Amino acid sequence: MPQYKAMEHTALAQPFRRSAAAHALGQNIGLILVCILLIASILAYCGIYYAAQERLPGGFEITSTVNNTMPLVLAALAQTVVVLTRGLDLSVGGMMDLSNAIAAVTLSASLGSMVFWSVAILALGALLGLLNGVLVAIGRLQPILVTLATLSIFQGLAIRVLPQPGGAVPEAYTAALVSTKAPYALLYVIAFGVLWSAFRRTRLGVSILAVGNDAQAARAHGIDLIRTRIAAYTLSGMLAAAAGLFLAANATAGDATTGNGYTLSSIVAVVLGGVSLFGGRGSAIGAMLGAFVSSMIVNILFFSHIDPLYQAFYEGLFLVLAVVLAEAVGRLVRKAS
Amino acid sequence: MTAKTAIGDMPTPAVEASNVRKAFGGVVALDGANFSAASGEVHALVGENGAGKSTLIKIIGGRLHADAGEVRIAGRKVVLSGPDAAHRLGAWTVFQELTLLTWMTVAENLFLGHEIRNSLGLIARGKLFSKAEQVLADVGIFHIDPRALVEDISLAERQLIEIVRAITQNPQILLLDEPTSSLVERETVWLFEQIRRLCKNGTSVVFTSHRWNEIRTIADRITVFRNGKDVGTFTELGEEEAVTLMTGTRVDVFFPPLPQAPQSQPALSVRELSGPRIKSVSFDLYKGEVLGMGGLAGHGHREVFFSLFGAEPHSAERIEMSGKPVRIRNPRGAVRQRIALVPEDRKTEGLLLPLSVRNNLTLTILRQLSRFGLVRVGEERRLAQTLVERLKIRARDLFVAVGALSGGNQQKVLLGRWLLAASDVLLLYDVTRGVDVATKHEIYELVLGLAREGHGILFYSSDAEELAHLCHRVLVMREGRIAAVLSQPGITAEQIVAAAMREHATV
Amino acid sequence: MTNKLHRRVLLRASGLALASASFAATPFAHSRAANKKKFKIALSNSYIGNKWRIEMENLFKAALLMEPYKSEVIGSWFNSGNDVSKQSQQMSNLIAERVDAIVLNAASPTALDGIIKQASDRGILVVSFDNVVTAPSALKVNTDQFEFGKTLAEFLAKKMGGKGNVIMVTGVAGTHVDLERNRGADSVWQQHPGIKVVSRYTGMWDSATAERNTASVLPSLPQIDGIWCQGGTDGVIKAFIAANRPIPPVAGEAENGFRKFMIGYMGHKVDGISIGQPPFLSLVALELARRVLSGTYPKKDITIPFPYVTSETVKVGETVFPNLPDSFFADFTDAGEHAVLKICVDAA
Ligand SMILES: Nc1ncnc2c1ncn2[C@@H]1O[C@H](COP(=O)(O)OP(=O)(O)OP(=O)(O)O)[C@@H](O)[C@H]1O
Ligand SMILES: [Mg+2]
Repeated sequence: MPQYKAMEHTALAQPFRRSAAAHALGQNIGLILVCILLIASILAYCGIYYAAQERLPGGFEITSTVNNTMPLVLAALAQTVVVLTRGLDLSVGGMMDLSNAIAAVTLSASLGSMVFWSVAILALGALLGLLNGVLVAIGRLQPILVTLATLSIFQGLAIRVLPQPGGAVPEAYTAALVSTKAPYALLYVIAFGVLWSAFRRTRLGVSILAVGNDAQAARAHGIDLIRTRIAAYTLSGMLAAAAGLFLAANATAGDATTGNGYTLSSIVAVVLGGVSLFGGRGSAIGAMLGAFVSSMIVNILFFSHIDPLYQAFYEGLFLVLAVVLAEAVGRLVRKAS
Repeated sequence: MTAKTAIGDMPTPAVEASNVRKAFGGVVALDGANFSAASGEVHALVGENGAGKSTLIKIIGGRLHADAGEVRIAGRKVVLSGPDAAHRLGAWTVFQELTLLTWMTVAENLFLGHEIRNSLGLIARGKLFSKAEQVLADVGIFHIDPRALVEDISLAERQLIEIVRAITQNPQILLLDEPTSSLVERETVWLFEQIRRLCKNGTSVVFTSHRWNEIRTIADRITVFRNGKDVGTFTELGEEEAVTLMTGTRVDVFFPPLPQAPQSQPALSVRELSGPRIKSVSFDLYKGEVLGMGGLAGHGHREVFFSLFGAEPHSAERIEMSGKPVRIRNPRGAVRQRIALVPEDRKTEGLLLPLSVRNNLTLTILRQLSRFGLVRVGEERRLAQTLVERLKIRARDLFVAVGALSGGNQQKVLLGRWLLAASDVLLLYDVTRGVDVATKHEIYELVLGLAREGHGILFYSSDAEELAHLCHRVLVMREGRIAAVLSQPGITAEQIVAAAMREHATV
Repeated sequence: MTNKLHRRVLLRASGLALASASFAATPFAHSRAANKKKFKIALSNSYIGNKWRIEMENLFKAALLMEPYKSEVIGSWFNSGNDVSKQSQQMSNLIAERVDAIVLNAASPTALDGIIKQASDRGILVVSFDNVVTAPSALKVNTDQFEFGKTLAEFLAKKMGGKGNVIMVTGVAGTHVDLERNRGADSVWQQHPGIKVVSRYTGMWDSATAERNTASVLPSLPQIDGIWCQGGTDGVIKAFIAANRPIPPVAGEAENGFRKFMIGYMGHKVDGISIGQPPFLSLVALELARRVLSGTYPKKDITIPFPYVTSETVKVGETVFPNLPDSFFADFTDAGEHAVLKICVDAA
C-alpha cells in the first residue's frame, strides 16, 4: 500500500508532540489558576490576620470560614452543572430559600425525622429542578427567563412555608453538616470532588459538557439534548436544595429570604472557579474552590480594616482583577504551549 | 455517454430514499428526491450549491426529519429519531459542517457516545488515549495527538478525525458530505484508500464533492441533483454533461485564460516573516498578480495568511504596502491598510451565522455606507443585491440568516464581503472550498477580474489543479519555508505536489 | 451629659456628607495600647443602601468620638449588605478579633443564630437592634413593630369614623418587621367591622415601588377612605395625585416626602400620621452594651416608644425639611429633647 507509506511520511514531518503533562496543564488551566488564587488569598489572609492579631488563624477561624462557605460551595455546584450546558440557573437562591424554610419547619431532633426530611427536601429540589429543565429543554425557553420566573415562584413558596423567620434546626443536624468543633465539613468538599471526578466520566457528565460546547455537534453525536438539559437542571435543583440545608444547619434556624443572595454569589464562584459562562468548559472542583476564594476575599477585606463603605467596591475590584488575571494568564499559557 | 437510470437486477439497496420532501420555511430543499445506493459501492451525489445534497444526507443520517417520503435501510422502512438511531442501524455520517466538540480532546471526540469503560462503569481516561492512538495508527494517521484539544488542531486534522470516527465503526452505510473540501491531495488519497477498503467489505459509501476529478476517481455511480430533485443516475458521466445536468444550462468548466502579466510595482513586499510555524518567508506580490501558495497542509500557509492579516503573532524584518512600510498588529489594522482575508472556516472565522445575508455582506464597509453614523439602508441593500446576483448566492432573500444557507453559498457570502471592501491586497485562503463547479468558475473569473483591476491577490488552495491554472506564480511551502517558486507558463499540478514532497525523497 | 452628647451627635449627623467624610478613618487606629481596659465594641450592620441606615451608622460613629465612649470604647463598624453569609463571616472574624460586644443590625432575624450562639459561648455580648434577631442569648433593642401597625391603623379608624375602605401597602415579605406591622393593623381592623381592606399589596418599603404598584391597582379600586402604608408613603400619595383621586387620610412612614405633603406640598394638604423607626437605635444599643459590659445595667431587652407626628404637630425645620429630598428620613430630630434622653436615663 504505497499511499499508506506516504501518509506515514507526512506524519513524520511533524514529530513534535507535547507531553501528557503539558496537555494537562493547558487543558486544566482554569482549575490550576483557581488553586493558585486560593493559595494566594489564604496566604494574604494569614499575613493580614497576623499583622492585626499577632497570631495565626486557629481552629475557630478555619472552622467558621469553612462552615460559612459550605452553602455557597453547594450553590456553586448547582450553578456549575447548568452553566456547563451553556445555561444559567437564577433560581438557585429561591430553591435555597425553599429548602431552608422547609427544613426549619420540619426538622425535629429524632434521627428518623432528620433523615426523612432531608431526603424529602432533596427530592423536592430535584423535582423543581426538573420543572426548570422541562421548561428550558422541551419548552425551548431562555434559561434566564425560565429560572427568573421560577426564582420568584420558589421565593413565594418559601414565604408561604415560613412567613416569618423562625423555626429551629436541631443541634445534632448542625453538628452533622457544619460541626463547630473542627472543619469536618471539608470532608463534604472532598467527597463532592471525588463524586464530580466520577460524574465527569459518566455518559451524563460527558453529555453535559458536550451540549454546552456545541449543542448541534453534540446532537450529531447522538446525544439527547433534551434529556441532558433536563438532567442538568434536575441535578442543579437537588444541589441547590442541599445548599439550603447547609444554610439552615449553619444558621440553626430558618429564614425564607436568606438564600436570595446566593444566586449571584454562586455565579461569581463559578466564574472564579474557571468555569466558562459560555458552557462546555470547567470543573465543579474549580467552582467549589471559587466559593472559598470569595470567602477569603471577605476575610481579607475585614482584617485590612478598609472603611466599610468602600468594602463592596474593593470586593468588586478584587473579583474583576482575579477574573481578568486568570483569563490573561490562561490565554498566555495556552498560547505559549 | 452511457446513462443507466434503471437499477433493474440489483439486490436490495443498502439505503434508499424515495420521494423525499423537505422544506425550511419557504425554502424547498428537497422536492420529491429519490436516491439509492447499493452495498459495496461508492455512490457520488453531485449538484450545485443548495441543490439539497446535504439535506438528503442529514435525513439519512438521522439529523433531520423528512416532511414526506420514506427512507429504507437494508430494505426496511425506518423513521430515525436522531443520529444515534441511524448509528444503531449502521449508518454513520461525516457532516459537511464539522461536528467535533472543540473543548474536548481528540481522543474524547473519537469515542464520544461509545466510550471505553472501566470495571466501575466509568469512562476509563487512562486507556482512552492509548486506545485512540491505536485507532489512529490502525488507519495510518500518526501526526495527530489524541491528547490535543480539537480547538488546537487544524481544520484538515479535524476533518480527518471526523472521518476516522465514522470509519472505525464498521459502518454498513457511510455518508461523507464533502469530506475532502479541506483536505490536500495526499489526505484525499488516504481517504480514498480507506473508502475502497470499506467497500471491499460491503459498506455502501455515499460521497459528495465539488471536485470532478475526485468524483471520477472514486465513484462507481453518480446521482445528479438539481433544485432538490434527482435528475439521473449514471455509471459514467463526463464533467461537462454533469455540469449541464446540474445547472440546466451549458457552462464553461475550463479555467479561464490568465490575464496579462502583472505590473512591475509590488502591492505587498514581505521580508523575513517569522512566527511560531513560519521561518523567514520573503516574497513580493505585484499589483495585478495572482500569487499562488501551495504545499501540504500544516506547513505554514495558514500562519502566513493570518500573520499578514494581523491575526497571528509574528515578526518581520519589513512589510511594505505599495512601497510604504507598515506594521500589522491586528485585523483592524490590516483592514485599515486595505488588506482583506477570506478565511477557510466560515463557521468560526468569518461569518456571523445568525445575521442576515445583507448584514454579513456589508459588515466591513458599514463606515463607508454610513452617513452621520447611520447606515444608508437603501444603498446597503442595493450593494448587497448586486453581489448576490454577481456571485449567484442562492438565498430566499437578503434577510435570511446566513446560517440557513447551504455550505457553498455561505462561502460565497464570505467572499462577497471582502469583494465589497475593495482592498489592495486580498488574501484568499481556500475560497473555492465547497463551492460547486459553476460557481467556482465564476469565482475564478472574479479573481482574475480583480487582478486585472490591479489588486494583488495571494491565493492558497488545497486544490493543486486550481493553483496551476489560476496563478502567475506559485510559492510552494514546506516546513514553514518557501521551498520552491514556480512560474508560468507551464506550471502543472504534478509539479506543485512534487515540490511539496521533495524533501521526503531526501530524508 | 447625655443631653449634650445627643445634641452634638445630631449636629454632626445632620451634616450628612460631612459626617461620612470625617469619620471614615480606620476604626482601630487610635490608641490601642493606651488603655487596656477599653471595651472593644463593633457595629455589624447589614444593608447600607438607604438614608436611614447611613444616619444610623453616622450616629454610631459620631458617638465614638464623644465621651464617655471616647475614653471607654474602641469601636469599629462593618457592613455586609443583605448577604447573611457575609455578615456571619464578619461576625466570626469579630469573634476572632476577641471583641467584647457586637452591636448588630442583622440581615436576617434567624440566619445568624448559629454564629451568635458561638459568640455568646465565648463570652461576647451581642446587642441586636432594628432588625432584631431571635437568638435567645442576644439582647434586643427595638421599637414595637406591632404598635407601629396598630397606631397607624387606629389613627385611620378614628379619622374614618370606623367605616370605609382602606388600602394596605405592606413591606418586604418574610421579614419580622413586615409581619408584625401587618398584625398590628389587622388587630385594629378586627375591632372595626365597618372598615374594609379593599386592597393589600407590597410597596417593598420603597417609594418608587410603592408608587408603581399603587398606580397599577388604583384604577380597579372603589373610593378609598384611608391609606395605611408601611413605607414608600410619598410614592403612594403621588400615585393618587397622578390618578386624580382625592387623597384620604394617610397613615405612613417618616419619609420627608410624605411630611412635605402633610404641610401642603404642591397644593395637596394631606391629613395624616407619620411614624418612623428612629436611627438612634444604634446609640441605644451601644449604650446598652457599654453599661452591660461595665456592669452598670442588667442584661435586659429595651423597647422604645415610637416618635410620631401628625398633620397638626408637624413642624418645618424640625420634623419636616422642605429643602431636602423626599427620600430623606425626617425623624431623627424627633428624638429631640425627650426620646433618647429619656431612654438613656431610664436605662441608667
Ligand atoms: N436549516 C436551514 N434553514 C433554512 N434553509 C436551509 C437550512 N438548511 C438548508 N437550507 C436550504 O436548503 C437548500 C438545500 O441546502 P443543502 O445544504 O442541502 O444544499 P447542498 O446541496 O448541500 O449545497 P452545498 O453544495 O452548498 O453544500 C438551500 O437552499 C439552503 O439554503
Ligand atoms: Mg452541502
